[in-house]
Amino acid sequence: MSNSLWRKFVNVLMHAASALSVLLAVTALLAVLGYVLLNGFSALNTDFFLRLPTPVGIPGGGVANAIVGSMIVIGLATLFAAPIGLGAGIYLSEFGDNWFGDLVRYLADVLSGVPSIVVGIFAYALIVSRQGYFSALSAGFALGVMMLPAITRTTEEMLRMVPTTLREGALALGVPRWRTTVSVVLPMGMGGVVTGIVLAIARVAGETAPLLFTAFGNPFWNVDVAKPIATLPHTVYTYAISPYADWHAKAWGTALVLTGFVLCTSLLARRLGRQRHLS
Amino acid sequence: MRHQWFLVLMVAMLVLVGCAPAAQPTPVPAPAQAQQQAASQPTPVPTTPPTAVPTEAPAAAPTEEPTAVPTEAPQAAVEPVQLTGAGASFPYPLYSRWFYDYAFRNPSARFNYQSIGSGGGIRQITAKTVDFGGSDALLTEEMKAAAPGLMQLPTVAGAVVLAYNVNDAAGTAVPTGLKLTPEVIAGIFLGQITTWNDAQLVELNPDANLPDQDILVARRSDGSGTTFLFTSYLSQVNEEWKANVGAGTSVEWPVGLGGRGNEGVAGIVRAQPGSIGYVELAYATENNLSYAYVRNQAGIFIEPNLSTTTAASNAAVADMPEDLGQLLVNAPGDDSYPIAGYTFLLVYQDMDDCAKARELISFIEWALSEEGDKDALELLYAPLGDAVKAMVFERLAGMTCAGGQPIPSR
Repeated sequence: MSNSLWRKFVNVLMHAASALSVLLAVTALLAVLGYVLLNGFSALNTDFFLRLPTPVGIPGGGVANAIVGSMIVIGLATLFAAPIGLGAGIYLSEFGDNWFGDLVRYLADVLSGVPSIVVGIFAYALIVSRQGYFSALSAGFALGVMMLPAITRTTEEMLRMVPTTLREGALALGVPRWRTTVSVVLPMGMGGVVTGIVLAIARVAGETAPLLFTAFGNPFWNVDVAKPIATLPHTVYTYAISPYADWHAKAWGTALVLTGFVLCTSLLARRLGRQRHLS
Repeated sequence: MRHQWFLVLMVAMLVLVGCAPAAQPTPVPAPAQAQQQAASQPTPVPTTPPTAVPTEAPAAAPTEEPTAVPTEAPQAAVEPVQLTGAGASFPYPLYSRWFYDYAFRNPSARFNYQSIGSGGGIRQITAKTVDFGGSDALLTEEMKAAAPGLMQLPTVAGAVVLAYNVNDAAGTAVPTGLKLTPEVIAGIFLGQITTWNDAQLVELNPDANLPDQDILVARRSDGSGTTFLFTSYLSQVNEEWKANVGAGTSVEWPVGLGGRGNEGVAGIVRAQPGSIGYVELAYATENNLSYAYVRNQAGIFIEPNLSTTTAASNAAVADMPEDLGQLLVNAPGDDSYPIAGYTFLLVYQDMDDCAKARELISFIEWALSEEGDKDALELLYAPLGDAVKAMVFERLAGMTCAGGQPIPSR
């Protein structure tokens, strides 16, 4: 076989192999989505979104408290992680070209690799066992810790993409450094930063492990952040391991709602990201 | 662009802020109904839950018009006392049902029980992060020392069954009712009996036409009260098991495939032909698994069900220890199923919060009433016999709060 024929053969082979890989990856995603949709759709109805959960043997009921609970916990996590992550990101991009900046970057990367169950235990030890009760607040803290490195690093990346010439222009006009950062750099990079925050939300929305020993779960309504609260991933977990078909159906329905939420958040993030480039 | 992210943030805030209060009105129709009901009944007669229209209700509870019964727990006029509990997964479905039904009767208290496993329940109640715990395993001396004043109160009894999935030599599934002796069970889980047509199995079940197939043992991979019961049983009836494996919430299994939780073991048994595993009765029946009859101390093969479990509880009551920590394994009596056990609520004899103590006591009294029993039977849990209930009530009567204060009355 001549050299060029061989190279063509390898080319075709590699093309086929990568196409197959793409197909497998997409199939896995579609299979998961399809399976959740198939099993979960029949569980959905208005009661499912508006009612409290019912125990085994009592028909009807929904996961309204878990939907609201998840929103509260994610809201708390964002309130906790967004300002700190934003501040850390600004520091790293604008003032972080030194050993301390490198250290912070390294630690943020390590933190993002910490298993979620460990973050849960951390929040339990730091908040729950000291306060003596499970709470939405501790869950928000746990998820916030998980969001923190993602927000820090995307903020840094996004602000670094703002051209240096803009900073120099502002400084040349006699604008102080802090003013340059707040009025020039931050507004330019804000679209990307918000995208990063939304992506971080999508990433932690489905986390179960940090919630087991913080949010704890609650079959009743609760909007008090100092009390145990129901969340979607935890609801899926509890329902899925029960022996009852009725609860399994609800677990699928809840999984569908959760998947839908994460998907929508990711799509929102993509949209935000694209608009930034267009403008 | 700047406006857009601002808009998104605004919308997100609106959703977050708006959802919390907006979501609360949903159950509001319920309290109105609940109060109407309360008003229509001058005495604190409990209202019946939806769907659970009693067929043999106590005479005191009048049957309600089903349409008037709220489908959601009522919101109390005053902020209800919230009690938190955690522990064993085995009673979780029953507890959640009890707390749901109880919320209709007593809107002033809310009970939140989460299933995190017996070991977790003991740890959390010891750390006092919860108001009560749940456990299928008995408190050891070590645990009692770590949590002084912690009482274990039996609530219901359950049976551990040997579920199997095997086709006979002709290819039809072997139905419920395969007969097993303690020796054979130990032999299978020790890895000594390895095929379904082992002489010992065939001798016990001459008509079953058992196949020449390997036995796949399914057991728990996680720590569990079910394992504790099952291994305690084997340790009592089999010396070799006691010497080599012993009893505990998790043990060194000689053979077998591990599954997480009752559902994991049930899943293995359902999926793998030729398998046998131990699960709680409810998991076997809910998963339509076949299960074995086990020979008890009296030498009779007993089908595991609620009445044989209650029979074991009644037969063992004479030996009930002072701390109520009793295993129902290998109980005497002709009708006793030999692998049974109580599930316990773990409650401090002296609770820190007097209001919580009062609510917890009145809940347990209700749960052990005829109404609580009805829920238990419906969900395949065996209610306690009257003698055991009396012992629990005695412990409740001895409770105090806030360092020896008497429990306030309503």
